[in-house]
Amino acid sequence: MNAKQIILSRLGGHRTPPAEYPRPAIRTRPFDDPVQAFIDALRTAGGEALFVEDTASLDTEIIRAFDDPANIIDTRTPVSPTLETMERCDLAIVEAAFGVAENGAVWIDPAERYPRALLTLARSLAILLPCEAIVPTMHEAYERLDFDELAYGLFMAGPSKTADIEQALVLGAHGAMTLKVFLTPISGQSDFISPKEKQ
Amino acid sequence: MRSEESKFVDHFRNAEEFLKDPEQARWHDRALWFVRQKRDTAAASVPEWEELRRAAETIKAHTLEHLGYYLERFEERAQANGIEVLWAEDAAEFRRLVAEILQRHGASRVVKSKSMLTEECGLNPHLEARGIEVTDTDLGERIVQLAGDRPSHIVLPAIHLRKEQVAEIFSSHLHTDPSNADPSYLTRAAREHLRRKFLEADAAITGVNFALAEEGAFVVCTNEGNADLGTALPDLHIACMGLEKLIPSARDLGVFTRLLARSATGQAITAYTSHFRRPKPGGKLYLILVDDGRSALLQSSRRELLSCIRCGACMNTCPVYRRSGGHSYGTVVPGPIGSALAGTRDPGRYASLPFACSLCASCDLVCPVRIDLHQHLLDERQQTIRVPEYRGKVRGLKAAAFLLRHPRLYRQSIAALRWLLPRLPRSLIYNRFNLWGREREMPSPAPRSFSELYQARQGADNER
Repeated sequence: MNAKQIILSRLGGHRTPPAEYPRPAIRTRPFDDPVQAFIDALRTAGGEALFVEDTASLDTEIIRAFDDPANIIDTRTPVSPTLETMERCDLAIVEAAFGVAENGAVWIDPAERYPRALLTLARSLAILLPCEAIVPTMHEAYERLDFDELAYGLFMAGPSKTADIEQALVLGAHGAMTLKVFLTPISGQSDFISPKEKQ
Repeated sequence: MRSEESKFVDHFRNAEEFLKDPEQARWHDRALWFVRQKRDTAAASVPEWEELRRAAETIKAHTLEHLGYYLERFEERAQANGIEVLWAEDAAEFRRLVAEILQRHGASRVVKSKSMLTEECGLNPHLEARGIEVTDTDLGERIVQLAGDRPSHIVLPAIHLRKEQVAEIFSSHLHTDPSNADPSYLTRAAREHLRRKFLEADAAITGVNFALAEEGAFVVCTNEGNADLGTALPDLHIACMGLEKLIPSARDLGVFTRLLARSATGQAITAYTSHFRRPKPGGKLYLILVDDGRSALLQSSRRELLSCIRCGACMNTCPVYRRSGGHSYGTVVPGPIGSALAGTRDPGRYASLPFACSLCASCDLVCPVRIDLHQHLLDERQQTIRVPEYRGKVRGLKAAAFLLRHPRLYRQSIAALRWLLPRLPRSLIYNRFNLWGREREMPSPAPRSFSELYQARQGADNER
């Protein structure tokens, strides 16, 4: 018998398929102002949210918010940066599919548009998020997610952080040292249509 | 390591060692209590918190009930996603599998993100003996690795060290200024040092927080982003999980991601909650399912312990853990859950751990999956009291039980002791048979016993 067969035989009676799965339903309380809740939660997580009134001025506002970064990688169009350029990257601009009001997290799926490593190698992250795309809690977040096309995706809540030395919070342990979310008004260019809505 | 296998872990003596530095012990106690308070605030901010805990308990119990079914389903789905799934019966097989994969891919430099399973299975020394360099990339774990130490907490591995000690460790390994103990300065130094390790790595090893049977995917939660950076660069990723990390589907993740970080550190969610479903283009992704005693635990009355999601909340709240330090338990997972788990593995060796508990049950109240921890520890006492180390205590208790069954003899002995205790020299009272007095001061006897007072009062009442 191989290891799998041995382990499964040890599990004995625990191999029967469930007759039904009563997934517990959680009654969540809706936020009065989910956008404000998102902004507050992101601040607690060490990040910052900024409103962009006019999408035309988005690029200038990003540059201003990050104090003229020298090396920028903008992933709004597909890019294939080398490891060296990613290592030198001061600012990566990435799009988030949606945000979560209760914890300030945003869902990012690099898909084929840019390498996964960019999200942690870049010193700073500018994340674009349409205002409308904020769900109240993680329950609604997972309702939205479609795993069928996913290879790797993550919820990111603020910059990389650690408190491993005497519980003192330090931002920028390994990944991004600063993370700012730019809340954009919904526009024709926005790709915020969840996979489920597409169907 | 093997030779220690049967050595009795004396929590009490180990705690004494920890308490030799009272200032550090006080700091440890307060730091963890602060984390507990942050957890309380986070939990209170979610009105449906208790509902979430009950849901988590239900989902875990359901998955464990059908664990074999869900494991096969998970394997099938994960394989379809291009993940190679392997099974390991025990720690030895797990170590062998990891070493074989690394050697097959010619990997000699490995970056590892936090995984208590790899600690449990002694993976690092096994790989190092084969010439493979393993770098723990979680800052706390890197600190203890450089110091040749072990984690003392599952979420805060270096909570037993002060920043001055970290400065000392870093100055000898990373050549930082030994007099600079500023946490930001030290973290920056670690960032630079570990960034090089990430860039040079041939392979990444990660743990798994949640595996999803329906999607054939898994989730890793970190605050530092070390699992993400580690797996993004090299082409080889080996994920390691105990059988119990499985949940039915991604739709259950809402419950667990809302509970985990709030219970662990009081954050609403970890900075990185990363979902792995397919290998990187051109990369290889292995997932190893490890039993190592879990299937046996599933068949026992302690099954519920497999529901643990390793948040560490029971440690932060435990009055004994906070005042004795993680190392005093002599286990990979310390604190209430660690004590309960250790008893299921080797009740003889870990016989002192169920007694490292005041039965206050605070752990039960903070546990996000509602494990009845204090009840498990109380139950384990029934078995562990039988070890030879506690023979003296058992005799003492039997003598006490005999006295309590014989009221006249009891009263006479008490009267004699009341007279004797203040008159005997300390050396005679605190003799080697007085196990109770070894750790405590004997009480000073009251001038009159309760029954004497009661009788006197009854007499007075009758005269009235």
